[in-house]
Amino acid sequence: MSLIEQVIIRLLNLFLSYEQINTLFNDPRTVAVIIGGLIALSSAVLGSFLLLRGLALTTDAISHTVLLGIVVAFLVMVGLLGMEADLSSPLLIIGAAGAGVLTVLLTELIERSGLVKEDAALGLAFPFLFAIAILLIARFADNVHLDQDSVMVGEIGMASANANSYCFANCDPITITPDDPRAKITRECVNCLSEGISPRHPNAIFEAVCANCGTYTAGQIIAQASRGNPLVAPEDNPQLVFIPKSLGVMSLLMLITLAFVGLVYKELKLATFDADLAKAFGFRPALLHYLLMVLTSLVAVGAFDAVGSILVVAFFIIPPATAYLLTNRLWLMLALSPLIGVISVFTGYEFAKGNFLGLIDMSAVMRWLNSTFGLNLHTTWDSSISASIVLMMFFFLLMTWLFSPKFGVVALMIQRRNQQRQFAEQVVLEHIYHHQHTEAESTELCAATLHEHLKWSKRRMMWCIARLRALHYITLQAGQVALTERGEQRVRQFNRDVLGLSIISDTTTIVT
Amino acid sequence: MGVLGRRIKSAETQRSQPHTWAQSLASRHDMGGFSIWYIIIGIGVLALLFIPMSMLLGVRYDYTLIVVALGGTLLGILNGVLGSFAVLRRQSLLGDALSHAALPGVCVAFLFFGRDMGALLIGAGISSLLGVWFIRILTQTTRLKQDVAMGIILTSWFALGVALLTYIQSLQTASQAGLDHFIFGQAAAIRLGDVVLVAMVGGVCLMVVIAFWKELKLMTFDLEFAQANGYPVRFLDAILSLLVVIAIVLGLQLAGVILMVGLLIAPGVAARQWTRNMAQMLTLAGIFGGFAGGAGAVISGLDKNLPTGALIIVVAVIIVFVSICVAPERGFIWTWRKRQADAKHINGGGHVAD
Repeated sequence: MSLIEQVIIRLLNLFLSYEQINTLFNDPRTVAVIIGGLIALSSAVLGSFLLLRGLALTTDAISHTVLLGIVVAFLVMVGLLGMEADLSSPLLIIGAAGAGVLTVLLTELIERSGLVKEDAALGLAFPFLFAIAILLIARFADNVHLDQDSVMVGEIGMASANANSYCFANCDPITITPDDPRAKITRECVNCLSEGISPRHPNAIFEAVCANCGTYTAGQIIAQASRGNPLVAPEDNPQLVFIPKSLGVMSLLMLITLAFVGLVYKELKLATFDADLAKAFGFRPALLHYLLMVLTSLVAVGAFDAVGSILVVAFFIIPPATAYLLTNRLWLMLALSPLIGVISVFTGYEFAKGNFLGLIDMSAVMRWLNSTFGLNLHTTWDSSISASIVLMMFFFLLMTWLFSPKFGVVALMIQRRNQQRQFAEQVVLEHIYHHQHTEAESTELCAATLHEHLKWSKRRMMWCIARLRALHYITLQAGQVALTERGEQRVRQFNRDVLGLSIISDTTTIVT
Repeated sequence: MGVLGRRIKSAETQRSQPHTWAQSLASRHDMGGFSIWYIIIGIGVLALLFIPMSMLLGVRYDYTLIVVALGGTLLGILNGVLGSFAVLRRQSLLGDALSHAALPGVCVAFLFFGRDMGALLIGAGISSLLGVWFIRILTQTTRLKQDVAMGIILTSWFALGVALLTYIQSLQTASQAGLDHFIFGQAAAIRLGDVVLVAMVGGVCLMVVIAFWKELKLMTFDLEFAQANGYPVRFLDAILSLLVVIAIVLGLQLAGVILMVGLLIAPGVAARQWTRNMAQMLTLAGIFGGFAGGAGAVISGLDKNLPTGALIIVVAVIIVFVSICVAPERGFIWTWRKRQADAKHINGGGHVAD
């Protein structure tokens, strides 16, 4: 983990000085958007395959049961190994991956018994594992910070406060853990939460919440760090860089995900669309299936801290679903869904702060609601970041659903309308073609009564005739309609190409 | 050899008289009749034995515990019976989506009416029904499958709820604690008034099920046939959805949002193992659900550190596992014994020469 953080910092250091890196990573907004973007990237890529394989709700199950893995890993860490509880330990990752695979295995076991249907098997397996996790927390891990609030929401806005450090010069790297007396930040703020002050409360701006734990600026942390660490004296000008822990974890997970998909793209594609053929080719689709599940569990546990275990499901399902409504091509779907995810993260953060797509100021909306309906709402808009991100995802999905050029509701409506119109025109043309040059011509082709023969409304026929005249398919002379040369050609072509009536329709003798 | 042997064997049993208790239960004509009702009554009596057993083990039934146990039992019965429809219609995970989708409605109702149980339930019901409606529209007008649509609605509705919840938290009203109980389930918070409400609403739901029994049965097993015969399928479908939503919304205070799906479907899945008759299945699901709800609530009432919802789910899933193992004709033990009897018969009889 520290290796990848070092790589990130070294890379950034090519462009930025260490003070600039510190200001960058000290800004909750930047960190939240970067981490959210990383989560969105990896989960959208995995989610696309899961959606196509019909496993969308398995992510829901896995994201819940990773809690069991986390709890068991916590208990092993604290109880057996006597280590300090830490949400970014590798043991936790192993536990989560194990729990994810356990969920899938348990579901398949129940299902394979043949006694329980697939949906019910999933609906039994994950509440069971989750219930065990809740019981374990309640009995043994009460002191560990794993309450139901964190399961539900997560705190991406706090991600910048839970940091590792990296030393350039004149110091030792220190780690800011939740229990580190030198910098109690994240958990202290969550303590505030349990005391009834939400970190999203207007008075609870990041600095203000942590009034009981010390404000969080890079300078102070460095001062604290150097105070707590005899090796560093402030006058030595220590060059310490802080990097949020989630950033390292999520970058690693994203790299693994991209590498996995890149390496086995062909095999995954085949196994997704034709598992039997893939098996026949010897690609082992079952192995791929479990690897996908392991990766999904890893991303779910990596995102657990940031967005909570329920809302992370949205990261897996909604962007791929949106991309699925836009394209038929797998590679395009794999490109579009992370893009949609990342855009949602960015706009979602802004939305949480009251800025809807840069168009609407939510505080103004609240004020307007207050003045119009006489409500007594807060006018400061400061919502949960993760929830706002999901709402933006849903908004983009709605827009795509309505306006997708290929599969959107509007596009389908227009298409259906065109088809109806074309069909109506063809019917009228055929009617005329059928009856012209026959004895019944004068009654059948009278423009004023034409609608009666087809049992249409008069209005509809009027419109249809007007369009056909505009297209120069028919002429209207002395109240009688007649096909033009062009119209006759079109009817013949239609009969030949679409109806396959070439022989019959050329002989006019069949008209009775 | 295996398949062939089993076929020969089954032809054999049809000819010969069933001569053991196991085989007499196995032969299809004896099943589905009254023998299963006897088993169901036995299970019901066993479930009721929990009360004296727990008293022997030192549980004292004071007023609070009786109210909580009663509430748990009633909610369990209701969820077991109505959840069976979800199980049979293969819509189990709809329960998961709908329980999450209730959150924004709860929050809005709380904002306007405070912690009034009736208002919270109605709000939850409305937002869940909106969720059902949206899932249906999304699957009908796009090529998204039902599971994807459910995932979308589940997360977006829940996100809306969370956003509203943060707003409520920022109001800093003292009564928001009750809302947490509603979301995560807390049987200890059930009051006598809630129990009466559950009993009345549940009674109406069960009467609706009985009144539309034939139609609901037909809908559940053969939708197209019902449609072809001119039954008002859309109306009946709406009624079934409404019933499931009511069961979920009422059950939320017992199991909580996340575990709700388990309480809804586990009794039904367990009951399905014992019988293939729908009346028997619903009865048994009610017994299982009532036992899980009541026992879970009582056990969790013993200690503050035992979350009710989790306990109820664990009890319910254990019932499912036991049912899968011991249920007559379908269970693991049953099939294992039958296979052994087959093998013995084939080895001993020597009818098969291949």
